[in-house]
Amino acid sequence: MKFQLTLAALIFSLSMCAQQYLTRQGSITFDAGTPLEDIRATSVSATAVYDKTNNKLGVQALMTSFEFKRALMQEHFNESYVESERFPKTVFKGKYIDGRAVGTLTIHGVAQDVDVPAALIEENNRLILKADFSVRIADFGVRIPKTVANKIEEKANITLNCVLRVKP
Amino acid sequence: MKKSLVFICLICVVAQAQEADVFDLLDEPRPEEKVFATFKGTQLINAQTNETPGKGVLQYVISHRFGSFQNDYLYNFLGLDNAQIRMQLDYGITRKLDVGVGRSSVLKIADSFIKYRLIEQQKGNNKALLGVTLYSSLNYRNARFTDGVEHNPSDRYSYMHQVIVSRKWNANLSTLLSPSLVHFNLVPASQDPNTTFHLTMAGRYKLRPRVALTAESTLASNYEYSTGERFTTPFALGVDIETGGHIFQIHLTNSRSLNAPYWMAQNPYVASDGGLFLGFNVSRVFTVKD
Repeated sequence: MKFQLTLAALIFSLSMCAQQYLTRQGSITFDAGTPLEDIRATSVSATAVYDKTNNKLGVQALMTSFEFKRALMQEHFNESYVESERFPKTVFKGKYIDGRAVGTLTIHGVAQDVDVPAALIEENNRLILKADFSVRIADFGVRIPKTVANKIEEKANITLNCVLRVKP
Repeated sequence: MKKSLVFICLICVVAQAQEADVFDLLDEPRPEEKVFATFKGTQLINAQTNETPGKGVLQYVISHRFGSFQNDYLYNFLGLDNAQIRMQLDYGITRKLDVGVGRSSVLKIADSFIKYRLIEQQKGNNKALLGVTLYSSLNYRNARFTDGVEHNPSDRYSYMHQVIVSRKWNANLSTLLSPSLVHFNLVPASQDPNTTFHLTMAGRYKLRPRVALTAESTLASNYEYSTGERFTTPFALGVDIETGGHIFQIHLTNSRSLNAPYWMAQNPYVASDGGLFLGFNVSRVFTVKD
């Protein structure tokens, strides 16, 4: 009896301890396409973390992990637009508060405060993080040459889809 | 028993207090990050780079080498009146594999080639400090022989096999070192080597996001034939200019042939005697399959 109670308490306490959630296979898609050009890329190796105790939410992806349909577009994206060599990753650090992700989004080395709708749904010991929002490309200091300006949307739509598991 | 419960809860609280900031997890080392755009083009000037067009991409390259500087070059408009040309069409079957064909006006050579990126340079956890790319070309001389001797078709073939070792040091500087083997089925005399070894050293330095300086030189194991023909070390200096789907490469080189066995192993031109040629390569890519 004593042993069982102890065990139950141990399991309970362990589950209490397990407050941090993590994935390294999160999916982020961004779309800045126009009718003239299909500009869309997806990363399936984004890291997303969430801490239940303090609601801290973090998302990070390597710029080079974004896969485009066209190899040349991907090269231009990394080399000429987001300058992945100088700014290798995009990071969001903030909190999840009542259906919103509030914090700082850094792209291309430029940090901007953001407050965007997001959903964090608990499901069989997993957390599903979903978000769909847009950012103005110019806000992050990404220069777009005039000659292609009509092919690229001013606002990039960003879709997030991550399944986080309890950190082992 | 109550004590033990309190104790466990205490452990839990301590464990939680010790748990690191969740944001620290973001920066843990990543398994892999491929190094991109080591060079702009699949060719640096004459030399091959580690780059391939990419999956489903058709590339068309036009190369010109103009007339030499020794020969009335103002009258010939810097040699533009005597242009040699090679056209190339290649296709990226996968991201790593590229196959193509070409036709050059120098000795009317038709060629085919295959290129495969064996190892790609990587940052992060699974580091690969260097890229290793394999390249092979098969060249067929269509030009008639003028020595008055009956020739077998096999006499017209030459080959080049190469290992391209590349490294992108930083955003601006990339270098490559390519040991190669050239084989001519036909050389002037039996004591002349059919197979020669070569070493290409090349680099590029980006001056601006879309403009880079390029340079290359290729050493050889043999510089003469018993018939008295003398060969020089081919070199080239150039500028890469990128504009969207095009890459313009403008250069000055002491070699005129556009097929590797010939410019590597049988380059007769001496730069100090005016054996210098202006040239350019222009490439255009088409995404055939998404």
